[in-house]
Formats: sequence, C-alpha cells, structure tokens
Amino acid sequence: MSLIDTSYTAFLERYLDLASFRQTLVSANLANIDTPGYRSVDVAFQSELVWASFNDSYRQPLHPVVRRVNGLIERPDGNNVSLDREGLLLAQTQLQYKAAVELIRAEFRGILGAINDGKES
Amino acid sequence: MNLFGVMTISGTALLAERERAEILASNLANAETTRTPAGGPYQRQHVVFAAHRPFGMPFGEQLATMVDFSARGVQVDGVIADPAPPIRRFEPGHPDADAAGYVSAPAINPIEEEVNLMGAARAYQANVSAVQATKSMIASALTILG
Repeated sequence: MSLIDTSYTAFLERYLDLASFRQTLVSANLANIDTPGYRSVDVAFQSELVWASFNDSYRQPLHPVVRRVNGLIERPDGNNVSLDREGLLLAQTQLQYKAAVELIRAEFRGILGAINDGKES
Repeated sequence: MNLFGVMTISGTALLAERERAEILASNLANAETTRTPAGGPYQRQHVVFAAHRPFGMPFGEQLATMVDFSARGVQVDGVIADPAPPIRRFEPGHPDADAAGYVSAPAINPIEEEVNLMGAARAYQANVSAVQATKSMIASALTILG
C-alpha cells in the first residue's frame, strides 16, 4: 500500500472488475435471447465481491464463479432469458460501474489536493 | 474480461438477428413464389441459432468457456428449409398449374413471418441497448485518466 495505491482504490478496482464481468454475462444473456436451450447465467455479485476483497487476494486475478439463474420462466424451446431481468441488470451494472469510477476519481482528486498542498488544481 | 469483449458478444447478436431478419424478409417476399432454380415452389427457410465463443478471445478464456457455462455470443448455426409440403390451390389458368389445375404454393403464413420479424427487431434493439450501456461504461472509465 502506498499513497496512490490505497486499499480503497484496490477495492474499487475489484468492484469495477466484477461489474464489467457481470456486464459480460448480461450481454451474453441478451445476445442469446433467441437461442434454443440457452440458460441465463449470472454471478453472485455481493459474495464474489467479499471473496475478492480479502487483503491478500488483491493481487490475484479475479475468478468469479458463473452460475445458472434459477426461478426464471422457461420458454417451450428451453430458453429462459428474461428481457426484463437483463434490461434491469444492464442499467444497474452500468450505474454501479459509473459510481465506482466517480469514487476513484474523487479519491485521486483528494490525493492530488494533498500533493498540491491543499490547493485545488 | 474487458469491456471491448462485451461489445463483441453483443455484436455477434446484432449480426445473427440481422441475418434472421433477412431470412424472414425473404420468406415474406417469396410467399407466392412458385418457381425456383431448384424447381417447384419456394420453401420456407428457418434460421437456427447456437451459443458460441466469441472470436478473438484469448485461448485460456476459450478453454474456460468450453469447460463451464460462461459468457457466450450467438451465431447462426445454419439455415434449414421447412419440410412442410406446399399448399395446393385450384387455379386452372395459372401457368404453373398441373394437369388437374392445381398450383403448388409455398406453405408460408405472412402473419407468422411478420410476428417473427418483430421478434428479431426487438432482440436487435435489446442488443443495441447493451452496446450503448457498455460504450458509456468505457467512456466513463476513460474519465479516470484526466
């Protein structure tokens, strides 16, 4: 841990990693909305975030467990992609990602303020 | 696992849905076609989709998608002809009528094709939304730089 690479930014980095990974899965589900037999996949966001945020695991690559989503209505062709669910997750993941980016920016602005002797640059 | 790969996945869907729309439009256009190069009336075509690994993925990730169910794009696995027999209509004056006065017309229901076309258009829109969402995520990540 140093001045710029704080545990806070490392956590936010993890958060961004997971959010973009979830975006991959949501996009894959939407891409396969008409594929017969395709099953929706997702990642358990909260528990994966906790798992990925232990102090010593920051330097390890992220390996989230991809799971099938249960409890969705299955169409006659075996596909269970729900447009509502994916659309909602698309918006949610996008906002989560942008929120984390803003937090990182704020953190860096704070550090820059410290470097510049408290004066806003 | 980068965001440009996400756009690739959505891109495969845009490609596949467009091809589906093309085939549906072709079915609709040929609903009354009684002559084809192969002989006989036009046969209704079906598009078959299959989940696949997106192109340009690193080997390790490709291997990972083969052993577990992870992010996959979609591809058109094939276009197959509908085996349904043609509809026989009594039109003795038609140039393609047989000796008994019946014409073999394609077994195409334009309403069904139109509903499928709407489905393809909606799926295309959903994937365009996904591309836009990913694009705005990339743009916001760029703001960290400066």
